[in-house]
Amino acid sequence: MSASGTNASVASVAEVSSERVSRHHLLDRIYHALMAACVLTLMGSAFLPIVGWKFEWVSLHWMTGVALALLVLIHIVRALVWQDWRAMIPDGADIRNGWRSVRQALGGNGPAPGKPGKYKILQKLYHLAAAILILSIVASGLLMLLKIDTPFWRRNPYWFDAGTWGVIYSIHGAASMALVTLVMIHIYFALRPEEWWLTRSMFRGTISRKEYVDHCDSSRWQASNRT
Amino acid sequence: MQLFRYATSIYGDSDVVIGASWDLLPWFVAAGLVIIVVHAMVKALAGRRGRAH
Repeated sequence: MSASGTNASVASVAEVSSERVSRHHLLDRIYHALMAACVLTLMGSAFLPIVGWKFEWVSLHWMTGVALALLVLIHIVRALVWQDWRAMIPDGADIRNGWRSVRQALGGNGPAPGKPGKYKILQKLYHLAAAILILSIVASGLLMLLKIDTPFWRRNPYWFDAGTWGVIYSIHGAASMALVTLVMIHIYFALRPEEWWLTRSMFRGTISRKEYVDHCDSSRWQASNRT
Repeated sequence: MQLFRYATSIYGDSDVVIGASWDLLPWFVAAGLVIIVVHAMVKALAGRRGRAH
């Protein structure tokens, strides 16, 4: 190879390594940060009084809950209208790769798992579980607003009978406690070194071209460059 | 340990469910800890096995 050819390939490698691939739009990162703030505030205002730290939690809780409901509504509309919501749905390739990963982890033989698209199957399953829990919490929480006075409405606890209120409160409480488990798992994976490229992308919005090539199947996620 | 919290109905003749029992909260925290510890152990063992080969 000539000197000019070597220089050209070195330049192209440097160019590729400095390229950034867009992963999370600024709006999605802001949504993630606001949602995290809401969820942590809601957990604190719900569970700290239960474990013994008494304070006036109701106002903080319902107002943050309404904010979370609005954020979730915006997220759903944005995902359905402007984003590729199918990227978050587990498909046949995810299930096949997931099974191969389990077999490999258990020391079995067989074909190696393929790379995921934008999201791994565990991320998709996590999102599904979080969506079910948060939608249950938001729906039951909005109904529970009927039992408190606010500047916007007067309480009316007679919309439902006692048994129905019990079901609504049970769904709200059980889903909230299950969300504690999910949040713990989410923070743990975000802190694991092999997942830092994903955690960084939630702050920076991008991943490096090398991270994209190493971790993702370009036929399943056609990412756009951001230099 | 109970799964639900109960109160006496306004007629005083029966118990009604008023919500999920907060006794379950430590169990959900424990479930998260178990998943984290098991995953960390599996990854550590897999890493050790990978380095040995």
